[in-house]
Amino acid sequence: MLDSSAFNISDLTVSSLRSSTPILLAILGETLTQRVGIINLGVEGQMLVGALAGFAATLSFGNPWIGLLVGALAGVLMSSLHAGLCVGLKANQIASGIAVLILGMGLTSFYGIPYVGQKIHGFHHLLSAHWQTVPILGTFVSQLTPTVIIGLIATPLVGIWLYRTRTGLIWRSVGESVQVARATGINPAFVQVQGVLIGGFFSGFAGAAMSVDYTRDWVENMTGGRGLVAVGLVIVARWNPFLALPAALLFGGSEAFYLRLQTAGVAVSPYLLATIPYVVTLLVLLVSYYLANKEGGAPQGLTAIFR
Amino acid sequence: MHIELRGISKHFGEVAANADVNLEIKAGEVLALLGENGAGKSTLMKILYGFYQGDSGEIVIDGTTVEIDTPRTAMALGIGMVFQQFNLIPALSVAENLMLAYPKSPWWQSRHRPVWSTVLENLTKLARDIDPSKLVRHLAIGEQQLVELAKVLNLNAQLVILDEPTAVLTPQESERLWALVRQLADSGRSVVLITHKFEDVEACADRVAIMRAGRLVEVADARGKTIDEMVTLMMGQHQVAANPSVKSPQKDIQKLWIKSISAKDRRAAIVDIELQLAPGEILGIAGVAGNGQRLLADAVAGLAVLDNGEVILDGEVVSRLGRQPVNPNRNSKIGYIPEQPLENGVASDLDLTTNLSLHRLVGMPFFPKKQTEQAQAQKLIDEFNVRPSDPTKLAQDLSGGNLQKLVSARELSGMPSLVVACYPSMGLDILSTRAIYEQMFKHAERGACILWISEDLDDLLQYAHRIAVLSHGKITGILPAASADRQTIGLLMTGARKTA
Repeated sequence: MLDSSAFNISDLTVSSLRSSTPILLAILGETLTQRVGIINLGVEGQMLVGALAGFAATLSFGNPWIGLLVGALAGVLMSSLHAGLCVGLKANQIASGIAVLILGMGLTSFYGIPYVGQKIHGFHHLLSAHWQTVPILGTFVSQLTPTVIIGLIATPLVGIWLYRTRTGLIWRSVGESVQVARATGINPAFVQVQGVLIGGFFSGFAGAAMSVDYTRDWVENMTGGRGLVAVGLVIVARWNPFLALPAALLFGGSEAFYLRLQTAGVAVSPYLLATIPYVVTLLVLLVSYYLANKEGGAPQGLTAIFR
Repeated sequence: MHIELRGISKHFGEVAANADVNLEIKAGEVLALLGENGAGKSTLMKILYGFYQGDSGEIVIDGTTVEIDTPRTAMALGIGMVFQQFNLIPALSVAENLMLAYPKSPWWQSRHRPVWSTVLENLTKLARDIDPSKLVRHLAIGEQQLVELAKVLNLNAQLVILDEPTAVLTPQESERLWALVRQLADSGRSVVLITHKFEDVEACADRVAIMRAGRLVEVADARGKTIDEMVTLMMGQHQVAANPSVKSPQKDIQKLWIKSISAKDRRAAIVDIELQLAPGEILGIAGVAGNGQRLLADAVAGLAVLDNGEVILDGEVVSRLGRQPVNPNRNSKIGYIPEQPLENGVASDLDLTTNLSLHRLVGMPFFPKKQTEQAQAQKLIDEFNVRPSDPTKLAQDLSGGNLQKLVSARELSGMPSLVVACYPSMGLDILSTRAIYEQMFKHAERGACILWISEDLDDLLQYAHRIAVLSHGKITGILPAASADRQTIGLLMTGARKTA
């Protein structure tokens, strides 16, 4: 027995966008990090720390904007560990990233205990209630939250920044070839540190967007692997910020879809249904990895990790 | 700009790369810096470019002594260098590569900004037909070189140093480059051409400076020197070894049959290659690097999966459609000298003994005898003059030329029926090259087939029996070496003409 009202298109779109936003921000950040030739597997840990810090700040200051900012800065702090280890000390990027991931999980499950079960007031609805009376678009627009809009604006901004500015050009060249960049007079290590830190900013912000704006509570390991999925979706998005949105919607959309299936009362175990976003991501990753091998597109510097 | 190098010396460890070199570079001239591999030409110019620091000596530009400690200083002084290894990023477009190196590149780089036409101005002058929005990885080597040259000219370089620029070009592309070099000199710039080819000197140099073993042995007017004189100056007292001789092959017997093979991988493709070799025949494969040579060699050696056709050696299939055939005798029947031996031919963190016995590993006893192996290795090392000559050294400690000798020693040591050699003389001086050739041709004399991939047309014309030209993965022509000439081969390299 399916309840058809659960599949209202406008509702489904909004809820897809809302559940996609954290992962979209994480993909944007990781795209920038990988564009300078560094892979950061610690995104998940940075998101968790960002989520907890953002939640705690919102709770104590009562202002969700401060929560988002604190979350983002917490992400920067976590990623500075990765930057120091693998750019400064030339440590193995895979090991360093996993260290950040585990550290983030451990820190947040310990310091998060007092916040479990607490509630915060997130953002007020952006637009006043009379918008809801506007046909079709009304309900859609009225349900958008600030982080969704920030994500939608950040996507083209990051893209234009990467492809249309000198800084973006320098970042891309560092990711392709440290030697050539150095010969051109660029300091590659400096650029790489920036790339990792901005990735940390985005993933911390992504975590805070989740706890402050999406679920409005704190649960241990609440990101549920989104950070790791984001690393995979960077490949699906071909290291292109503009493609981060469809890649994120792929995950967020299938998440919204399975939640609807669940509420509609499909007779399948909810645990099994909850794997849908991950299975879909895995399938798309396989297809796009095959295409990537044929067409290329990965920053050359990333291959150095496996040397 | 008038440049004087005074008393430049540079040591790498105990080797003197440059010893007390005095050289003058005049404004508006083309100076050819001629010498064998390892004569110290590149080192000298890299000191001028700030890439290395000289141990002693000074650089004087227009009467003032200058300190050049980094390439950036050199660029600021108006000195630009185009290396053999291009400093281009393959995944970026031509325009982006130029913009990256452009000194006054703006932060906001919309496609409609007028700055692009300034950035592209030099490139347009050099090569109107290169599309700036094309990715560098899709350009031919010759075109990449022009982009690199445009990059250097964008820095407003008054002295342009070109390191072995014609090494990677077809004869036609070389001619175009010589004309460009002349144009640069006529516009008042100085050009230094590092080369070991006499044709470069004859085609465009005003003066020639000849280096040998780190010393400058002669500076003269380019027109006043004959090739024989230059050879003697380059080689010094070294007795130039007699050219290895080659016997003509036994006709009418077919030993190796490459039967219309096609294959492709991520970097290249070969299409419908059909070749037949008689016992003792040396078949040269000419062509600009990157036209499928590596894949062809892999395919013939049975290391690539074929999409079509098969390779038959002595009536036995060594490579066929689909899966790689398992052939336990392959290693003893085929000697394969791959390109880039460091990546493709050695286990770089194992010792020389192991590296020299890699092709026999399968047939070895369960407990190999270390002494026997080492003695055999030592013999090969001495025979091929590998330095250092210690079989317990690791392969990664060897220089490029010695690695080349090491791989050749291993692959030419048994009694192969087929030798596939990719650029076997890469990085070797004339004497070592001759030594490798002798070993290779010895097998031909014995009756083995030699498939010899090379970029050195002169050597191919001299030693090979026939020359097949490879262009874009296809054989564009097969010529008997005796009646072939550089121009015809050059045309075939561009894929322009097909002869039966």
